[in-house]
Amino acid sequence: MIEEKLDTLVTLVDESCPNLKNRAEFDNFKASISGPRGQLTEIMKSMGSVPKEEKPAMGKKINEAKQLIQKSFDAANNRIEEAELVSSLGAPIDPTLPSPDEAKGAIHPIAQVRDQVVDLFHRIGFSVAEGTELETEYYCFDALNIPSDHPARDMQDSYFMPESLSISNVSKKTDEQYLLRTHTSSVQIRTLLEEKPPIRIVAPGRCFRRDTPDATHSANFHQIEGLYVDKKVTLTDLKATLDYFVKQVFGASAKTRLRPSFFPFTEPSFEMDFYSPDLGKLSNKWLEIMGCGMVDPEVFKSVGLDPEEYSGFAFGMGIERIAMILQGVDDIRYYYHNDIRFLRQFSGIKQ
Amino acid sequence: MKISYNWLKQYLDSDIKPESILDALPLLGFDIEETETLGPPQMEHVVVGQVIEYEAHPNADRLRLCKVKTDESEQIHSIICGAKNFKQGDKVMVALPGAVLPGNFKIKKSKLRGIESQGMLCSAKELNIGQDHEGIMIIEASVPLGTPINHCYSDSDIIFNLEITPNRVDVLSHIGVARELLARFGGSLQVPKLKTQLKTSDTLKPNALLKSLELKNTELCSEYAAVCIENVKIQKSPQWLIQSLEAVGLRSVNNVVDITNYVLHESGQPLHAFDSNKLENNSIQVRNAQKGEAIKTLDGKDYKLNESILVVADAQKPIAIAGVMGGANTEVDENSQSIILEAAYFDPSSIRRTARALGISTDSSYRFERGVDAVGIEYAIQRATELILEYAGGSVIGPKTRLGSALTDPTIIDFSPDLMRNFIGFSVSDAEVEAAFVSLNCSVEKTQGAQPAWRVRVPSYRNDLKRAVDLYEEFIRIFGTDKIPSVEISANGISPLDHPIYTFNDTVSHFLSGQSFNEAFLYTLRDVKEYEFLLGETHSDTEHLRLNNPLQSDQSHLRNSLIPGLLDVLELNHARQNSVNKFYERGRVFKSEEGSVTELVSVGFVSFAKGLNRQWLEREAFDFYKSKTLAENIIQLLPVASNDLDFSPIEQSALWQPLHSASAGSIKKEGYQVSVGLLNVKHLKEKWNLSEPVYAGSILVHPDLFNKKAEVFRYSAISNQPASSKDLSLIVDKSVLSSEVHTAIVRFAQSATEGFICESVNVFDVYEGEGLDTDKKSFTISMSFRAQDRTLKDAEVNKAFEKIQESVNQETNYQIRK
Repeated sequence: MIEEKLDTLVTLVDESCPNLKNRAEFDNFKASISGPRGQLTEIMKSMGSVPKEEKPAMGKKINEAKQLIQKSFDAANNRIEEAELVSSLGAPIDPTLPSPDEAKGAIHPIAQVRDQVVDLFHRIGFSVAEGTELETEYYCFDALNIPSDHPARDMQDSYFMPESLSISNVSKKTDEQYLLRTHTSSVQIRTLLEEKPPIRIVAPGRCFRRDTPDATHSANFHQIEGLYVDKKVTLTDLKATLDYFVKQVFGASAKTRLRPSFFPFTEPSFEMDFYSPDLGKLSNKWLEIMGCGMVDPEVFKSVGLDPEEYSGFAFGMGIERIAMILQGVDDIRYYYHNDIRFLRQFSGIKQ
Repeated sequence: MKISYNWLKQYLDSDIKPESILDALPLLGFDIEETETLGPPQMEHVVVGQVIEYEAHPNADRLRLCKVKTDESEQIHSIICGAKNFKQGDKVMVALPGAVLPGNFKIKKSKLRGIESQGMLCSAKELNIGQDHEGIMIIEASVPLGTPINHCYSDSDIIFNLEITPNRVDVLSHIGVARELLARFGGSLQVPKLKTQLKTSDTLKPNALLKSLELKNTELCSEYAAVCIENVKIQKSPQWLIQSLEAVGLRSVNNVVDITNYVLHESGQPLHAFDSNKLENNSIQVRNAQKGEAIKTLDGKDYKLNESILVVADAQKPIAIAGVMGGANTEVDENSQSIILEAAYFDPSSIRRTARALGISTDSSYRFERGVDAVGIEYAIQRATELILEYAGGSVIGPKTRLGSALTDPTIIDFSPDLMRNFIGFSVSDAEVEAAFVSLNCSVEKTQGAQPAWRVRVPSYRNDLKRAVDLYEEFIRIFGTDKIPSVEISANGISPLDHPIYTFNDTVSHFLSGQSFNEAFLYTLRDVKEYEFLLGETHSDTEHLRLNNPLQSDQSHLRNSLIPGLLDVLELNHARQNSVNKFYERGRVFKSEEGSVTELVSVGFVSFAKGLNRQWLEREAFDFYKSKTLAENIIQLLPVASNDLDFSPIEQSALWQPLHSASAGSIKKEGYQVSVGLLNVKHLKEKWNLSEPVYAGSILVHPDLFNKKAEVFRYSAISNQPASSKDLSLIVDKSVLSSEVHTAIVRFAQSATEGFICESVNVFDVYEGEGLDTDKKSFTISMSFRAQDRTLKDAEVNKAFEKIQESVNQETNYQIRK
């Protein structure tokens, strides 16, 4: 009798549980089975009337039935809990909706090219030196063997600061005037005065020339200066270093040539040109890429180094110029407009 | 500088083709800015022919079928022509099969409407002779059949516009360029020979034209030579002279003036001719200008002179700015009958100062300021004299006068081929080195001894060669830079770290671009109007950051902040409807304090408070506290001991919105200064057309700060015991800043605890409104206590908490909210 009831109850629970839709139904149903007045509870209460000798067997039966019922409850409970969790999470996502957060910011194309150039020189042992944008005539010109009445100063028209101005963190040699540096070559002098060879530096930085702005001239622009001074640095070292640089930046198919030129602070002096078959419109013609040369003995003398003992080479390139060639930009002023559509073109960020 | 190929050829003894010159000059160090072709280029198979007869093309009304002879033989070319402007018997230019016309237009036999045409009758334009393309060219009947076009039009020329570096004054002439080409290609220079040697006297033998000649400043003019020529006939120059000058971009004036210009461009020595009848007292003196003197120069401009300017003067007035330009008052014109020809050596620095001071640069000053060849003066004045006698007639009176001498001892350079080989890093033979020097007219004398040493004598016109290293360059130039061997890169040793400013900038950039800020590059120079708007005219930055010589007024001041530039960027992108909210820049800015300017490292960022583009999901706005966090994070990248920035509100500013922005630190004390918050809403609208709120951050750092060593962090024991916390609400005046309350509570907690610590004090709730007076607000502060070695007992925490409250009651006027 009890046995039958138990079987019926187990079957009932087993069949009903999967149909319970939510926590409330489950709780009600569970109470109707195992609550104080539940059917299982009632059956267990009727155990008292079972003859003593049957009790162990019946007890075992009841236990089995309880276990089966609990299993059904657990399954239903897990199912309902899971459903509750899912519904608490809200509607499923649409992975194709645009992310409402802003994309990663773009790094400026000039900065990218500068960092690329610096990294190439890192690989061959150069470290970055910094200089100031305000300089004095001595460090910008005189120490670089450009005396005040030399026609070479005409090559670079400068922005001067008022004569009476004092600048707390840019030292003067004597009483020369302050100006905005026209090239990063001034860093050569400051570095040579502060450090002992061997010196291997690249100095990226902002420069200023008093030019009327147009597609290739901008009120300020950026250069990277390089300097290598040690005992026994030769002209072949200069060529090896700059050839490496050009081939890394413009590809192994790029050819280079050193065209004799003139800078007061190097002797011999050269313009380095390169020639590349795959540069779009600029393919297959010689393009000027930087000025370079062996450090002039006068420069060594001005920083107190013996030119008989030390030699070295120096080079300087315009970052905008390299960027314009690499990125196919035909007007330098675009770099200073900062139109986000322009900036993003060089960072792989979708518009 | 323009060099004419035809002109140049006269000085070369071998035929160097223009293409070879084009290739050679850049590698000799003379960059070619531009090449220009005048007249027809060299063309084969283009000759003078005659139209014997013609008839209409049977298949095309508009074409003529012509029979053309190009020599006296019986050979007839059948040529089809579309032009109608010729008649039977006309002589014309015929391009025969095999000819290549300008524009790489190849002429070959071809069929036109079924009939073969054996060449082409040419228009002027097709031959690059003129602009006429309406019909074919008709040639003068007297020109013989078969004359090649380049014989008819020998004025075809190629002009090389060269960029000559300032060290090479010797190349600023046709002879100078010819010398360089011959050094590369071999051959000897064909300098026009002088027919006679003028007698020279080193004092003036006075004559009717020139009664007195005085050299009063031998420092600025070490040599002055004059030749007197009477009875000259001033007239139009011969065609060859006009053509030569026009080829190099000069305008013909008259025969005498043209000759002086011609010799300048031939030899590099500037010359000048005065009309001797216009000289006061027929006297010339070379002296410094006197105060108040002025001159009208040949180009009709007036110049005020000063005592530092050297002039050529007559008895009364300046007649030329020495070495720069002659005066209109003694100009040689069509009425001139006698002239005085001048050649001199003027001090380069003096000429340069004068040219700069007066803002004139002439062919003459350009050469004098670079130092002309003292040896060449003699040749140039004689050459010009001979040309004048030939083309203007007249005769020389008396000997040539030559006061002073610019001649110096020849430069001899001690040179060691071994040292040069060490310097260039590769091996070359002595013979190769010597050959290079000899090709440049340097003579080499070798001394005997253990150390081979050379004495290299430099030609007088090479004033740029003074040291052995200068000769290294000459060798490389002539030897060819393409022959420098390729070697491995030598990169020995350990390189030092990058400068910390670079590393800082690099890290900042990655940090900010990771926070969706886009990098902008802006100009350092800003508009004075912006300074006046933001700071006022009397602010020390407006006063001290001004350039001495701005080019334009909107670029007159060094920037003292990156923010205005970034606002320009927001404005531009906003105006272009670009959806972007955030920009930053890293760069140098300048600040003036107590009359002294400091260059600072700076980072600036700006962000619209709300994203401007509509989104399907709304995001939290950018606010003061976000900008503050960013600034704090950036400061943390500096080698500074603490990132505790003590912010206080900005109370007055044209750039920042007062009381919605704050600043911390100072350049002088901490070495950095930070400003963050909302930008001045009214001014943004007024000046940048930005009506949406913009938050910004500006970080200024003194470069010296980067020389500090970064702090080294060390371990201190961490307690494993549980923490115990207490909350405290305090009612304070609205004006009280949380930092004040925080500092007080930290201090009270420190003295209230013994045997354990108050680990943290955190303001976690700010309330104002219902239940509080209108001028009050409340801060709720949580304090966390912990002991190193045990679980804290409630009693001891409570005791500490009570002590803290007691301190609040005794030492502050904060009211504890129960």
